[in-house]
Amino acid sequence: MSLTDTVPLHASSQSDIDEIENLINASVHSGPATVLPARPPSPPRAQIPPVWDTVKRDLSRIVSNLKLVVFPNPYREDPGKALRDWDLWGPFFFIVFLGLTLSWSASVKKSEVFAVAFAVLAAGAVILTLNVLLLGGQIIFFQSLSLLGYCLFPLDVGAVICLLKDNVILKVIVVCVTLAWSSWAAYPFMSSAVNPRRKALALYPVFLMYVSVGFLIIAID
Amino acid sequence: MWIQRVGLMLLFLAASGRETDGDLIEEPRKEKGAREREREKMMSGKYTTIDSQKVSGSVPAVPDSGHFTVKLSESNLQPYPPSDARGKISSGSQPPRDADVTFSKSRLGSDEPPQGGWFQMFSIASYKPYFDVDTSDVVERIKDSLFPLRGTFNEKTASNPDLYGPFWICTTLIFVAASIGTFVTYIAHKLKNKEWNYDINLVTWSAGLFYGYIIIVPLGLYVILKYFSVPSGLAQLLCLYGYSLFVFIPALCLSVVPLEIFRWVVAGVAGFMSATFVALNLRAHIKSAGERWFFIVAAIFLLQLALGVALKLSLFTVAV
Repeated sequence: MSLTDTVPLHASSQSDIDEIENLINASVHSGPATVLPARPPSPPRAQIPPVWDTVKRDLSRIVSNLKLVVFPNPYREDPGKALRDWDLWGPFFFIVFLGLTLSWSASVKKSEVFAVAFAVLAAGAVILTLNVLLLGGQIIFFQSLSLLGYCLFPLDVGAVICLLKDNVILKVIVVCVTLAWSSWAAYPFMSSAVNPRRKALALYPVFLMYVSVGFLIIAID
Repeated sequence: MWIQRVGLMLLFLAASGRETDGDLIEEPRKEKGAREREREKMMSGKYTTIDSQKVSGSVPAVPDSGHFTVKLSESNLQPYPPSDARGKISSGSQPPRDADVTFSKSRLGSDEPPQGGWFQMFSIASYKPYFDVDTSDVVERIKDSLFPLRGTFNEKTASNPDLYGPFWICTTLIFVAASIGTFVTYIAHKLKNKEWNYDINLVTWSAGLFYGYIIIVPLGLYVILKYFSVPSGLAQLLCLYGYSLFVFIPALCLSVVPLEIFRWVVAGVAGFMSATFVALNLRAHIKSAGERWFFIVAAIFLLQLALGVALKLSLFTVAV
């Protein structure tokens, strides 16, 4: 495997090894140093405000994490690799988006729908993580929350499709497909975290949560 | 020429640190000594949290081979701060996994003394013994709950009562109850071509009912049994009640059939099975309480039966 096959992480991802690699790349190619966030004093003309850089960096990290977790890539099976650079903005965005979509498609009791969806998803992620920890698994709490949040992305897509088209059969099919996709995304992480004899005990609650969210998507009309 | 080669070597060292797939390990490279292979092993190990490894910078260590340490001090790269779990290269945000290591470590606390008696209720480590079951154990206990007349459940779980079963059976029951209840009202409304809207209160209401039942009734029973000086462990009571609720799950699934008589029969049978399960398992234990035992057992039986009836009435009484 040559150098060019390495995953080209965005220049603004900030894990340590990428940091070093960026520094080396920067010095080897003698390009501009893209890592240091310190900005020169702004000249008097109109500027893009610095907060845009931070937002862009966070967005690119969300996208790269999403690609690692939800889409097939060679690093999926390796829990040390996937989501090494976890964050909580992505999961937060996906949970709120799903709650809003469900609330939008509900014809009555919109605020209650949002509240229930948000509570189920947020509390569900925490409880699932605690479940793995109690079963004797070895995971990092926030990394697991982050991963469970990212795995909601397929359900978000499904909810948007169900919002646009109100046919029950189509909803069932779409929800089943996105449910399978979400479970597939979460499977390697959860199953590798616990003792193999307890794998089903750790995976079943994940499946249960996604099924209940899928059911909510189908039922809300 | 020579400078470029050194630069390439440094790049190899950096790049190889990030790659963990198999073919990389098999390919021979001049620069990769045993040291690099160790680093890769460390990186492909399990997630790091707790007990035994020392975290060198942000490279997670394989927990069971703790005698590896990696020193990059020979290279021209800036070495990872060796044993400082909070070491970071400071430029913007990094994955604060190191903070999480300390967070999880303090919560699991396996090698720290337990914090005073009251706080132990909030630490994960104090609940771990109640989740010490394998998949096969849970499946076997569920199967046992379907045969209420044996009455041996309590003895089998006396040494290892688990809370996994009760909690997840209860949660599954809530979900099944909400979904079946919704489905039934949906069908009923559609058959009469009436307007139907999803009632989200069904979820919250059934959650309240089941969680409330499974927390309050065993707690009450625990107190009562203590009063009658036949103490039974709280975890054991919770375990018993939790598994006794399992039979309602297939009962609810069967109740989709729109025949009223059939639904009553199913609810009755399930309630009866569940109540017998609880009563028989407790009877042997309570018999030593003196002449009052019959009343206690009868009360338990009726309570569980009432739960089954309440379930049937609330979920399957459809007013269209």
